[in-house]
Amino acid sequence: MKKFFNDIADALNMLAGIESALNIKDFSPNELKVFYTIISNEANSGCQCNITDVVESSGMSRSTVYKTLRKLSGEGIIALDQSPDDKREYLISFS
Amino acid sequence: MKNFLTVSVTTFLFSSILWVLWAFFLLQGDDNSPWLGPLLYYPHAARVLCIVYFGYRAIPALFLAEIWGPLLLFPEAFNFYPYIPSLISVMSVPAAILTLEFFGFTLGSTQDSPLNKTNYKHVALITVISAFYNALFKNLSLSLFEVNYQEHLVDILQVCSFLIGDIAGTAVVFILLAIVLRPILRSTNQDSRIH
Repeated sequence: MKKFFNDIADALNMLAGIESALNIKDFSPNELKVFYTIISNEANSGCQCNITDVVESSGMSRSTVYKTLRKLSGEGIIALDQSPDDKREYLISFS
Repeated sequence: MKNFLTVSVTTFLFSSILWVLWAFFLLQGDDNSPWLGPLLYYPHAARVLCIVYFGYRAIPALFLAEIWGPLLLFPEAFNFYPYIPSLISVMSVPAAILTLEFFGFTLGSTQDSPLNKTNYKHVALITVISAFYNALFKNLSLSLFEVNYQEHLVDILQVCSFLIGDIAGTAVVFILLAIVLRPILRSTNQDSRIH
């Protein structure tokens, strides 16, 4: 059976190459929740949401939301721009 | 012929599942997407995967999987004996491997192998060459035996649809397998990094 399992392992290695080439992004549960909150906020209000909106809608702590948004921004999924009305607030948009 | 039974059962089940899925899209699918069947032929992925990884031991099971559907499952839809066309389809993959071996690209599973079966680009090359052989010689046999497959005479469009169908169907199966088996593939990668 060793040969059979070696053959299967070779096939799995080939599929791993395809999976790697596809470069499918994995979201953590926090990232998924923040991402979903941004989309639903923008769909409901029809305008750009800010960090406070995401904190209030998601029920997550401000620091967790901030860290998650920084990570998503670093990966180029979203962009964070300073709000023209309130310098302490950031507006979220999709890259 | 070590593990012949295990290889045969695995090959037969895998190929049969893909054939039934393809037949479902071709025969049971709605009329708005009739291209789904002929332009995405999933069982070619089973031919390529099983012969590349299990070797020539997989040929009898692949041949059985190719003929049992048209003969037993949908005999009214496939009104011809599928023995010779199915044999040609199955043998298209060994023919592709032998062609590459003829040009010095021997199949192996190490980084040094000229044709590395763990590299998906090399497997894709085997898929394209075998699809070409299958499209050409299967249609040649259909025209020689004057079979009106799917109520169409063999023409250049049918040859092209076989070629595209085999390549696109194999690509779809490979991508779906890579997505479905992601947890296993991730753990396999981590294990290989540890060792």
